[in-house]
Amino acid sequence: MTQYFIRRLLLIVPTFIGITVLVFVITRFVPGGPIERMIAEVQQASMQAGGSMQSAGSGVGAATLDEDQIRELEKYYGFDKPVLVSYWEWLLKVVQFDLGTSSRYSEPVWDTIKERLPVSAFYGIVTMLITYFISIPLGYYKAVKHNSHFDHASSVVVFIGYAIPSYVVGIILLVVFASNLEWFPMGGFYGDEFEDMESIWQQIGDIFYHAALPLLAYVAGSFAVMTFMMKNALMDNLAADYVRTAIAKGIPFRQAITRHAMRNSLIPIATHFGNNISVIIGGSFLIEKIFNIDGLGLLGYESIVERDYPIVLGVLVISAILQLLGNILSDICVAVVDPRVQFR
Amino acid sequence: MSEPLLQVKHLATEFQTEQGLARALDDISFEVNAGETLGIVGESGCGKSVTSLSIMRLLPKPAGNIVQGEVIFDGQDLVQLPADDMHNIRGNRIAMIFQEPMTALNPVYRIGRQLGETLALHNPKMSKSDIRDASIRMLERVGIPAPERRLKEYPHQLSGGMRQRVMIAIALLCNPEILIADEPTTALDVTIQAQILQLLKDLQQETGMAIIFITHDLGVIAELCDRVLVMYGGRIIEQADINTLFDKPGHPYTRGLLKAIPRLDQPPKEELSTIRGMVPSLFDFPPGCRFQNRCDFVQERCRQETPELETYNDGQQVRCFRFRELVNE
Repeated sequence: MTQYFIRRLLLIVPTFIGITVLVFVITRFVPGGPIERMIAEVQQASMQAGGSMQSAGSGVGAATLDEDQIRELEKYYGFDKPVLVSYWEWLLKVVQFDLGTSSRYSEPVWDTIKERLPVSAFYGIVTMLITYFISIPLGYYKAVKHNSHFDHASSVVVFIGYAIPSYVVGIILLVVFASNLEWFPMGGFYGDEFEDMESIWQQIGDIFYHAALPLLAYVAGSFAVMTFMMKNALMDNLAADYVRTAIAKGIPFRQAITRHAMRNSLIPIATHFGNNISVIIGGSFLIEKIFNIDGLGLLGYESIVERDYPIVLGVLVISAILQLLGNILSDICVAVVDPRVQFR
Repeated sequence: MSEPLLQVKHLATEFQTEQGLARALDDISFEVNAGETLGIVGESGCGKSVTSLSIMRLLPKPAGNIVQGEVIFDGQDLVQLPADDMHNIRGNRIAMIFQEPMTALNPVYRIGRQLGETLALHNPKMSKSDIRDASIRMLERVGIPAPERRLKEYPHQLSGGMRQRVMIAIALLCNPEILIADEPTTALDVTIQAQILQLLKDLQQETGMAIIFITHDLGVIAELCDRVLVMYGGRIIEQADINTLFDKPGHPYTRGLLKAIPRLDQPPKEELSTIRGMVPSLFDFPPGCRFQNRCDFVQERCRQETPELETYNDGQQVRCFRFRELVNE
């Protein structure tokens, strides 16, 4: 088993290289890269200055940047070398934890990411905890009370939450509870007085006060799948022969569920566990945008729009590693809960 | 003989299905005496498993319900017994083993835990080491080699025959007075089947428990049972001791079943005799005798009236109007 996981860990290396090569090459060939942007900016600036009467259509760069300047820029961004050579240089730096410098903020990529990561991780982890705390008991109760009024009513709620995209839930929450009722703030990760707060508890309270609506938006979409996975797994197991055996042994029905059926029903939930981690830490840029949260999702999205490739690649590095580790974590979870699983 | 150990009186069980209420058991009455082996035989869907599940009150809820009758065990009616008292009887005084040893054990727990659970449940004062010792002794008794090691194994590490032995061990841990065996050998291959049957016989001799053995295999019945119930369409159609049943089968259905067994004294490679037609679903049984549409001896009366289960010589009970004429043929 240990051997298997060591092999899995080693396999991260080629997978990681595969993912990053692909994205690196794409960034090279997608139009509108940083140099073209810079040219456009200079062009715009000169046009606004009114000094130029040249028509906008005549030659892209010639009007504003000469060949030497462009070459210098290409050198700065490493575009003067073949793709694979500059990829290799980038990779060597990544291995030394140097993700380069953001072309937009002109500060180290790692610092930018480091600033946002805890915000996204906070939302991700809290969302996951809430989801598990709702879904597992709810799924359990729905399975035991299958076909009851409670079961039907909760299904309606769960499916509505599932059917409405989370950003729409976010907007509705924002309009109702922040704008109309003014119960919650409009957005942000914490309030303006955060730094001046005396105790850590006040600060935590403030974070959750700001987090309430976005968390609701996150949770509304994610607990449907988990709840039904739990309910269906438990129903399958309740009908299983070994539960009948347990009852035939003289175990009361409730205990047969909690001791026997539950453990088996957690197997599919455990399979999902690792995936959730990686997906959730990435954050949803739509929800982050709506609630004005400076998270990783928003950062990644904006840097793609702005062609800030060092950040795009930096975010990719983080999320790829999380995804790969998450997959392995899933497998470990499955191996822990299901003795039949043998990794060789 | 004194009071029978278990008396089933006029038991009727119904299932709620999408097509409506299905009466899976109708007026089932029989007795089980201490130390004897009662066989219940019949085709799929005749109600033999439902009978055992009804006695144990293991019917799938909420679909299956006992609607009538009593199951008297030790002076109490199990049908009316509060759930808590039923928990004390299940696995302790009446135990049960099932058809599918592959799925009857919980896949995620070690054998030791699944054995110990029953003991701890019914003997709360027993210490951990006593439970372990008793588990090992029990595994030895059911013929499992290296029992100490097996305790630490999971069900998937055992073969089907071994798992059924574990099931038997679990069932017998608390020395039950009755063991209900619901087709325990059907899923096993023939050599393992013979071993399990021998094991049950030996264990019965040691403990003196009664066995209710449910099967569709008359060969198994012949090997194991003292008395036999033959069921068809949720009703008992014949009840007799083992010799009477095989020598002088009373009901045309029983005769049909016996004829359908290949025999050594028959010329080989001949077509086997079969009972014509199919078992109807519970909703499609004909009026009158439930077997009339497949019976070779059917008369007008059989189509109109339902025959009662009547007692004849040697305590043989048969549900057939024409028993007396047919038996002398």
